[in-house]
Amino acid sequence: MGTLLQQIANGLIFGGLIAMVALGYTMVYGIIQLINFAHGEVFMTGAFGGLAVYSWLLPADVQQIWYVALPAMLVGGAIVALVIALLMERFAYRPLRNAPRLAPLITALGVSVFLQEAMRIFFPGASSAVPFPNAFITAPLHIGSITIPASGLLMLVVSVVLSIVLETYVNGSRMGRAMRATAQDPDTARLMGINPDRVIVLTFGIGAVLAGVGGVLYGSYIHNIDPYIGFQNGLFAFAAAVLGGIGSIRGAVIGAFVIGLIKNLADIYLPGGTAYDYVWIFILLIAVLVFRPQGLFGEAERVRA
Amino acid sequence: MRNRTVKAAVVVMAGALALAACGTNKTESGGGGSASCDTSKGTLTIGVISPLTGSLSALGLGIQHSAELAVAEANDKCTVKGYKLTVDPEDDQATPQVGAQAATKLSSDSNVVGVVGTLNSSVAQTVQPILSNKKVPQISPANTNPSLTKGADLTNPKRQFPSYFRVCTTDNYQGPDAADYLVKKAGKKKIAVIQDGKTYGAGLAAAFSERATADGATIVDKEQVGEKDTDFSGVLTKVKAAAPDAIYYGGEYPVAGPLSKQAQGLGLTVPVMGGDGVFDPKYIELGGKEGDLATSVGAPTESLDTAKDFVKAYAAKGYKDPYAAYGAFSYDAANAIIASLATTLGDSGTWSDSQRDKLISTIGSYKGNGATGAVAFDQYGDSTNKVLTVYQVTGKDWKAVQTGPFEG
Amino acid sequence: MKAMARPLIIVGAIVVIIGALLPWATFVLNDGAYPDKASLEFFDAPFGLTSFRLYLELLGLAGLVFALVPLRDRIRVLKAVGWGSAGIAVINTLFIVGDGGGLGAVTVADGHSAFGGLAATVGAALLLVGAYQLPKAPLAVIKPRLPFWAEWLILLVAFVALLLLVTETLTAGGHSGVSDPYIGPLFLSYLCAAGALLGVLWAFGVTKWISDMSERHRIFSIVVLLLCAVAVPFTSLGNDYWMTITANIGVYAATAIGLNIVVGLAGLLDLGYVAFMGIGAFVAANLSGAVAAEFGIRLPFIVAAIAAGIVAGIFGAVVGSPTLRVRGDYLAIVTLAFGEIFVRVSQNNIGGLTGGSNAIPNIPDLSLFGAQFNDSLTIGGIQLPGGVLYYFLIVLLVALVMFVFGNLKNSRIGRAWIAIREDEDVARAMGVKTGKLKILAFMTGATLAGLAGAVFAHKLATASYDSFQFNQSVTLLAAVILGGMGTIPGAVLGAALLFVLPEELRQFSDYRLMFFGLALVVIMRFRPQGLIADRHRRAELADEDVTGESLDDTAIKSPVAVAGVKEAGA
Repeated sequence: MGTLLQQIANGLIFGGLIAMVALGYTMVYGIIQLINFAHGEVFMTGAFGGLAVYSWLLPADVQQIWYVALPAMLVGGAIVALVIALLMERFAYRPLRNAPRLAPLITALGVSVFLQEAMRIFFPGASSAVPFPNAFITAPLHIGSITIPASGLLMLVVSVVLSIVLETYVNGSRMGRAMRATAQDPDTARLMGINPDRVIVLTFGIGAVLAGVGGVLYGSYIHNIDPYIGFQNGLFAFAAAVLGGIGSIRGAVIGAFVIGLIKNLADIYLPGGTAYDYVWIFILLIAVLVFRPQGLFGEAERVRA
Repeated sequence: MRNRTVKAAVVVMAGALALAACGTNKTESGGGGSASCDTSKGTLTIGVISPLTGSLSALGLGIQHSAELAVAEANDKCTVKGYKLTVDPEDDQATPQVGAQAATKLSSDSNVVGVVGTLNSSVAQTVQPILSNKKVPQISPANTNPSLTKGADLTNPKRQFPSYFRVCTTDNYQGPDAADYLVKKAGKKKIAVIQDGKTYGAGLAAAFSERATADGATIVDKEQVGEKDTDFSGVLTKVKAAAPDAIYYGGEYPVAGPLSKQAQGLGLTVPVMGGDGVFDPKYIELGGKEGDLATSVGAPTESLDTAKDFVKAYAAKGYKDPYAAYGAFSYDAANAIIASLATTLGDSGTWSDSQRDKLISTIGSYKGNGATGAVAFDQYGDSTNKVLTVYQVTGKDWKAVQTGPFEG
Repeated sequence: MKAMARPLIIVGAIVVIIGALLPWATFVLNDGAYPDKASLEFFDAPFGLTSFRLYLELLGLAGLVFALVPLRDRIRVLKAVGWGSAGIAVINTLFIVGDGGGLGAVTVADGHSAFGGLAATVGAALLLVGAYQLPKAPLAVIKPRLPFWAEWLILLVAFVALLLLVTETLTAGGHSGVSDPYIGPLFLSYLCAAGALLGVLWAFGVTKWISDMSERHRIFSIVVLLLCAVAVPFTSLGNDYWMTITANIGVYAATAIGLNIVVGLAGLLDLGYVAFMGIGAFVAANLSGAVAAEFGIRLPFIVAAIAAGIVAGIFGAVVGSPTLRVRGDYLAIVTLAFGEIFVRVSQNNIGGLTGGSNAIPNIPDLSLFGAQFNDSLTIGGIQLPGGVLYYFLIVLLVALVMFVFGNLKNSRIGRAWIAIREDEDVARAMGVKTGKLKILAFMTGATLAGLAGAVFAHKLATASYDSFQFNQSVTLLAAVILGGMGTIPGAVLGAALLFVLPEELRQFSDYRLMFFGLALVVIMRFRPQGLIADRHRRAELADEDVTGESLDDTAIKSPVAVAGVKEAGA
């Protein structure tokens, strides 16, 4: 029983991580129907941004004070991720807004490969894993029979809090309404006086900030980063977004937790054990896409010409 | 207007022709390079096949630069009489079909005397027959799959390719050596084995498990992780439930370091042990903790002058990338080829295809002292250097705790 | 500015010529002397130049000549010349600067001066500025149609010239011996020069004329192309190295053409396509009698290849069926997930079929009438390189795949696929059975990939999960997109580029993947229809009408045509 609880805890932590990335996927797809393959790389650049802030901007004595260092890294990571995402949107995706579906998809793949390699080449030491400082409390927490690292709990908490904030914002504020309107029907939204370009930039921006924060927290939790963390985690995040219903914020978060739980429970209960845990996630993804493409919370897909 | 432009054209053309008449026939002054060696007979090449791009590039570039260091030193010492040596690095992108192209390219060049490579065993499988066909000797610094030298049936070993050698040790020695240490010396009786599913890690873990069981320990859990994985909470929770007193990991340090740290984070404070893929200073940075163990081939660097010289020389050359896990092996491999070439050619020999057989047999009987210890090959092409060292993480550093030849 | 056009061009051309004659590097670089005696003094035997300096000199002369001789379509010709010169100048200058450690390498250092690079760049810039000022003109069209034997002769000459051009391209910079340290920029310079040449030919309407002719005499063209392909081992590409590369290109081209059916014709984006090739490879490996194979039997290659194709086809249908309910982007993710599942599953050696991390090595060589495919062959006194039989087999494979593709494309099925690609709902409304056809597309593509995989396994003598990872799928997709979706020459060109470029541009090998990603982005932005575009695609993606005229251009129509339109419309 202890193992089961532990695995559930691990799964929720992993889900918290994935959620922050999934939110970006789901929001961008909701607005411009683009699977931003490079979103995983935004997550990765956020992590490297946080590391850069820690290594090069913080003086040595400040590095040890976690309640100063960690926020600084979070801000740094978020800013780097934001810049990358906005550049991506402006130069790679915006010119292809009206192109057939294949073009932005291939472009996203290209951007993804480009970012991975650029980081590997230009960030010192990034050809293999780069150690990431544990900028949070190091001691693990014991709750009953479960042991979880403090940074994992932090990730979970931050992820839930940010999701709630985001959901409130999108449902409550003017800009949020504008986002929902653009997602529903960009032309009518434009007629209503909303500037879709601005809304899209905002969407990318929010997604990027979330992914960047996620990247820094990921680094704290795992203690190392490399240029390739974006690919696999991005795939899981996309699976989560699809599972929850693409376009739905609540769905992305819930989907992320489901994915996390499945991964850890598959280790114990499903045949093949740990060797096949990712396979189960992919099978689930395929099953969802086939049998219920709108996911748990999404609307039935609008047909586009 | 037309007339003027036509005239202008004619003038220009005439000018050009006139310039042609002023031409001279200078040749360039010679390039740099040591003028003290006799290089009258030309240039011979040592090829390197390893992943120079992609995620394994750190290892591949280390192999390339170490070979370049060996060649540069040989040129300075005029080791091969009458010839200058160069290195031709080819990228195999850790993919078999690209490796095949690289091998074909090198093997069709008559000036290529030998090849240092490959890193991945799966690439080696395609490269071996190609190089062997053209009688180009190949010395690998990093292939660990025993089948490459002994064939698929290890109980009836048969040498696969007479021109293939390796300077690193195979899983057959490292795994059991680690098992002996962990079970008999460190007294661990319940061991969990984790591996990363790749040729190196899976082979090592299998060899370890077999020996550990024979030594009397119980393998309480067997798990597999992906090489790109970073979150091991699932795997470690399962391992923790089996309550081992040690974990053996078959794989490399980018995964092993975080694995060890996360194990600790989950309250699983048992030592993690691995092979030479784990033995790297970065392992500690990435999360290796006090008491973790790793095996490595050869005696400790501090105890070998040749190793210290290699490290100094490598640093002096100022390469952009560190020599990484297999640099020292690559250095020894290149030196083996160079020394054998010098012996084959003697003082006044000339290189030709007819020398290839002699070169291969000279390499087979080569004996030298390299950065990894004594370098020599047995009848299968495997390294005879069975000196293995067990290191332990002590105070943020690797310290040798046992060293000696592996018996049996 | 317009009046300045001609003088600018002339001045530019002269400066380019001078630049070609000046020395380019002030000292001998660390890797060795830069080619063509680039460090030598001025005016050293101008007609003794070779390689990039010769190209520059020729381009400069061409620019000069074309500026002076009356031409209708001067602008395009001069643009081609200008861009070619600019390319050569910039690439070589930048490389020397980079390798030489600073601008001193191309200006003044140690008492030597070498302004060649800068002069050529300036000259090319002037040329381009002048060229862009010229008035636009309609593309020249060569109208007369010759008797068929004359056209056949011209086609023969054209294809042989193409073969020689390709051969020269691939061996530019030299390959035997220690690889030339400057092979990268030399190859690029060659590409610029060849590109300029092709540009000039295009501007004169020659390329369109020849392509129209080949359309008219399709069968003859195909036969000649096949003969040229077979003739390759007899050219300077006839050594083991190029046989291996061309064999790899061929296998990937065959797979890319299969992918073209799925992506190019039916519009179904498949990101896990290489898995089918892998399935074919593993099936063939297991039936080949290799020691590590699961089944102990050894079937003749033809049987194994067909089995590989069938098994892959079945999997194709399996992968295809869920896609019935899934559109566009989602389909991409589903196929990606399948691809990842394949990699994971084969890494774990499911059912012992894939050998896991040990792979299935030592797959026996193919043999025909006693001749081992990997050995070198002697026909009538000419010694052909080792692996040449694999090359011929692969040429056959590619021809077969092209044949299947061509027939499908022009059949009812092919048109139905294109209809599905354009607009699935409308297609269904017109009575097209979209579900079955989509599965058929997957199946056909997968079968072809399986066949290619079987040949691949034998050529490589190993089947390992390493060869079939996600980045290979991306590479295949890039080959199809880059070369041109929906066209066969496009797929072959794409596959060729992706194999040959890394070999040639070795200097930049560390940046290879980065440029690759960047190239995908740039291509999608500026030329999404690829290099060799399908007519329909081009019309669809790049706003051109079916004859290739850009719809955006404010092209001046010839007075006759305009008058004709006026008459018709009035």
